[in-house]
Formats: sequence, structure tokens, C-alpha cells
Amino acid sequence: MNPPSPDTGPLATRREFFRRGLRAGAAIAATGGLGAWLLNRHPPGDFSRVRASDPRRDFSVRTAGPRMAVATGRSRPAMLRGAMAAMGGIERFIERGDRVMLKVNAAFATPAVLGATTHPELLAELVRLCRGAGAASVVVTDNPINAPESCFELSGIAPAARAAGADLFVPGPGSFRPGTLPGGRLIRDWPVLFEPFAGVTKLIGVAPVKSHDRAGASMTMKNWYGLLGGRRNQFHQDIDGIIVELAMLVKPTLVVLDGTDTMMTNGPTGGSLADLKATNTLIVATDAVAADALGATLLGRSSRDLPYLGRAAGLGLGTTDFESLHPARVPAQSS
Amino acid sequence: MAAGALAVMACILAWVCIRQASFDPAVTVAAVAAPAAPAPAGLVEPWPAGLSPMSAAEAFTPGTLSDKIDGKADLYLSAGFVSMRSQRVRLAGAPGSWMEMLVYDMGLPANAYSVYSSQRRPSALDAGLGDYSYEAENELCLVHGRFYVELVCSDSSDAARGAAEALARSYIGSTAVAEHANIGAEQALFPTEGLVAGSIALEPSDVFGLDQLDNVFVARYRDGGGELTLFAARRDAPGKAAKEAAELRAFFVKDCGGKETPPPPYPPGAAIIEMDGGFEAVFSSGPYVAGVHQAPDRESAQRWLGAISHRIAGARP
Repeated sequence: MNPPSPDTGPLATRREFFRRGLRAGAAIAATGGLGAWLLNRHPPGDFSRVRASDPRRDFSVRTAGPRMAVATGRSRPAMLRGAMAAMGGIERFIERGDRVMLKVNAAFATPAVLGATTHPELLAELVRLCRGAGAASVVVTDNPINAPESCFELSGIAPAARAAGADLFVPGPGSFRPGTLPGGRLIRDWPVLFEPFAGVTKLIGVAPVKSHDRAGASMTMKNWYGLLGGRRNQFHQDIDGIIVELAMLVKPTLVVLDGTDTMMTNGPTGGSLADLKATNTLIVATDAVAADALGATLLGRSSRDLPYLGRAAGLGLGTTDFESLHPARVPAQSS
Repeated sequence: MAAGALAVMACILAWVCIRQASFDPAVTVAAVAAPAAPAPAGLVEPWPAGLSPMSAAEAFTPGTLSDKIDGKADLYLSAGFVSMRSQRVRLAGAPGSWMEMLVYDMGLPANAYSVYSSQRRPSALDAGLGDYSYEAENELCLVHGRFYVELVCSDSSDAARGAAEALARSYIGSTAVAEHANIGAEQALFPTEGLVAGSIALEPSDVFGLDQLDNVFVARYRDGGGELTLFAARRDAPGKAAKEAAELRAFFVKDCGGKETPPPPYPPGAAIIEMDGGFEAVFSSGPYVAGVHQAPDRESAQRWLGAISHRIAGARP
């Protein structure tokens, strides 16, 4: 047996080797465990990190069945009243004590006259109708990414909501919860608007008819895009897919599609009055696919031009054959 | 024991890799909250008389542009977008009147012209400002060097339009640019007869749906009761122009279901393809690739093909 080399020190015993090895292993395991424990405990921002849940919500009134009404004219409040009457009255959809959410399009801080956002006169009348039917509360919301307060104020939506007796909900980072749409490919562990839905019993989407560079058209189905948080712009890479999944996500009580003035070009922002065409139409429906299929015709297109409509219909989320709903035609309404 | 420690470390490494690969929206929510870029000073200093800031200036990068303009961002991003600044201003003496100024830095004058021309409203009137400009009711748009500027007024009153013009002049006067936009050479490629005024536009990418085809000038023409489009682009070398013409021709036939028709007598090598109830024509001449888009019939396609090829022959180096 060779003696220990003087410049390497004494050799460790087998027992000491095991002891050191165990200590090193324990240190590695502790470090890994600590990392796992700290993961997302304090994530950046105020995002409330909870386990992803099923975010699907159904606010439809089953007894009402598929219905659609189409009013013509220039006065949005009058057209809405006429269309709602033709649908059987707002009371068919909103009951005393209901807590109603109105999902508007407040995506841009632009004046109402440019048609890029839900028109405040239409919103105010809808709030009044809901209140008149006995709704206990009406909350108006959307999730504009940039300068949300300015979007609500300058579009006229906030003043109109307040004046008509609705509450305004401006989402913050804590308003979202991760949601995973069962069967969804895109909405997986993704921040979905959660907070303002607490206690809500009815949901109505209210959107203008606009051209859209990516989607072809922005109407009631694209309007649900505002339910998404996070860096949602990446969904623009599959805009048809995300619109279909949003239609799977929520089943509204009603949708109101405003084609009084249609943004024919340069959507969804527009910017010039020259982008608008007076199409004098307002659609109210229980079926968002049917409403948008009819809305597409205001843009000079058909449902075949908007792939998300066909895909949604294929999944049983509605019908592109809006005539099959036998829409009630409401003649021109004066204010 | 050493093998065990290594195995633990390998497991930790694998776990870290898996976590990193799966996207965490919580982080991106925080990213939204964080300022995308330093807030710039006012867009114009000093503001013209009668205008005062209504909001702080904001700045947007390619990563945040869609926060501001949603689905329209692609139009700018595909044309070389660098950054955008915006600010709202109030009009004195006109309660409730305001405007928003949006200044897009497109990197190059040609890119600025591209986004300007592709959004020009048919009813627009030339405004005589900057390199190119137009007024469309409540909106004033212009190109100043590499900048594309939009002034969106809350109404179309004379006061608002006058204020927009004053603001545009002030911006142009206070913003030096190294190079101005000038499409004179490309304009000369297009026949003047039948041209729809203000319709010459520069398409930055995916022209006619072909993703390899970019930076093509297009112009609309009245043809009988309808309209068609002529297009032209200059490339670095004749070989590249010929290759693109061949690719476009193949795209129309193979991907769009078009059908070749007998070649026209002029220009040499041109093709006419029947497609979607209309006719497409493609040819190359020296460094130019050009043609006719959506002609109503073959005779019309051939006639306009002759017109643009004649102009290109005169422009060839």
C-alpha cells in the first residue's frame, strides 16, 4: 500500500465520503425545493396567481329560444327600443333583481362619432331598459389595454353609463384569473376577466360594425376579445381561432350589433369620418353568430368571407343562416 | 453517491427548462403594466397658438403598438415600423373639441409613404403639407421624411381643421429630416389616363397574397364602368425581377386556381391568367416586375398591359 502523497493531504475515509456526499445532496435538494416553493409566490405585478379554472359562462335564457330583430333608422335609442319590443320585450331576458353586465367596445380613446367604440346613446338606452326591467345593478366594462380611463371617458361611454344609472368597471391587473377553456387550444392558463363577473346573472354584448385588418370584421364575437388580459396581441396570429374560442367561453343573454354607421375601411381604429357609411341598421339577437353573419352584409361581405363565423357555426355555437331565425324586421324608428 | 447528486441536478435542470418553456401570463401582465418606453416630451414645442396639451405624450414600440391601435398594428409592423408617439391636445375656444396627434417613425421615407398611401381615403383632398398629405373630413395625414403623421380631430369643424393644419405646419417646421419621401420615379411608371387620383400606393408585403412579393407600387384605374389595378416594382437586377414575375405567375396558377390563357403578343414573355372571374397579367422588363390585377376581361388586361409596359420601356435604364 502506497503512503498518502504529501501534497494531496490525507485521503477521506469511506464514511466521511458518504457524509460529505449526503450533505451535498441535501444542499442541492434544499435549493431545488426552495426554488419550487418560491416559484410565482410573489410574481411581478398584481396578477392573482391561482390554479387555472374553467372560465366558461352561460348567461343565455333558454326559454327565450333563438331570436333576432333588425331595426332600421338613424336614432339608436329608438331602434333599440323597437328591436327589443320585437324580441318580446326586455323583460323576456332581464328579470327583476338581475345583475347585468354590459360588455362594450371601449378599445380606443376616440370620440363616439368615429364609430370605433360602442356608441354612448345606445349604451345609455340599454342601461335604461335593463333598469326599467328591474335589474338590481348594471355594470359596464371592457379591457382596453392602453389608457383605459381615457378610453372610457373620451368615447363618451363612462359619462353615458353614469348618467343612465350604471356602474363602470375599469379592470386592473387583479381583475383577471387564469382560465383554461376545456377543449381550447389558445385559452389555456390565460388571464381571463373575472372580478366584475361576481354575482352577474345576465350578460349583453354591445358592439359596432367595423372592418378589421386582421379579422376581416369586428362585431359582437370579436368584442369578447376584451375579456382577455395579458399580452393578448399574440392571438392576432390566429385571430379566427381566438374569436371562436371566445364564443365557446361565453354564451351571452343577448348581443346588440350597431350598424347605424359602419366602419367600412381602416378598421378597427378608423380615424376619419370618411371611413364610415350610414347603414342605418341595428341588430339584437340571442345568437351572436347569426348577428355577425347579418352584420357582415353591412360591410359588403358574406359569412363565407369571415372564417370564424363558419367555424363557430360548425361547433354549434350559432348559425350563419340568420334568415333561419326569421328575424323580426322593425321599420324605421324616429327618436 | 456522486451519481445520485448528478441525477438530482439533472432533474432540477430539466424542471427549470420545462418551466421556462411554458409561458406564464402573470409575467406578461406585469409587462403590460411596465412602461414600454420612456415617456417623451411634448410632440411639438411650443404648441401653436390655441392648442394646449390635454394628455402626456406616450411612446410605443413594435412590441406595444397593438396596445394602442389593436389589429391595425400589423399594417405598420409589416412596413418597417420603428416607434410611435402620440399626444392629445385641446382646442382653445372650442369646448369639447380636441385632437390626437400620432407620429409614426417608419425608419425610411418609403415606409412612411407606404402606410400613408395604403390608408388614403378615396374622398381625401390634397392638403399641400410636407412630402405628401391629405385631408379627409376630420383627419389630416401627412408624410414628412421617415415620419407618417395623423392628426385626428374630434369633429370636422373649420376650427378643428384649421388647428390641425397649424399643428402640422409647426411639426414640419420643427422636425428636421435627413431625406424626404419622393415617389416621382415610380409615379412615372404608371399611365396618367384613367388613373384614379391619389390611388398610387406602396404595398409593403404579401402583395396579392404572395408572401415573397413585397414593396410593390399599385395604382387604381377606371376601366369602363369598373376599376382595375396596375402594379410595378423595381428590383436590384433583371434576374430578380424575372424570378418574381415567374413566382407570381406560378402562384396565380398553382395556389389560386388560375388558368393560363394564350400569351399576349406584347410585351415579350408576358402571361395572362384567368382567375376568379377576372384576368391577371404579369411580365418583367429589365429590373421591373409589373402587370395588371383584376381586369374584367382579357381584352382589357391586354390593353392595360400594353400601356404599362410602354411606360416601363421608357423608364428603363
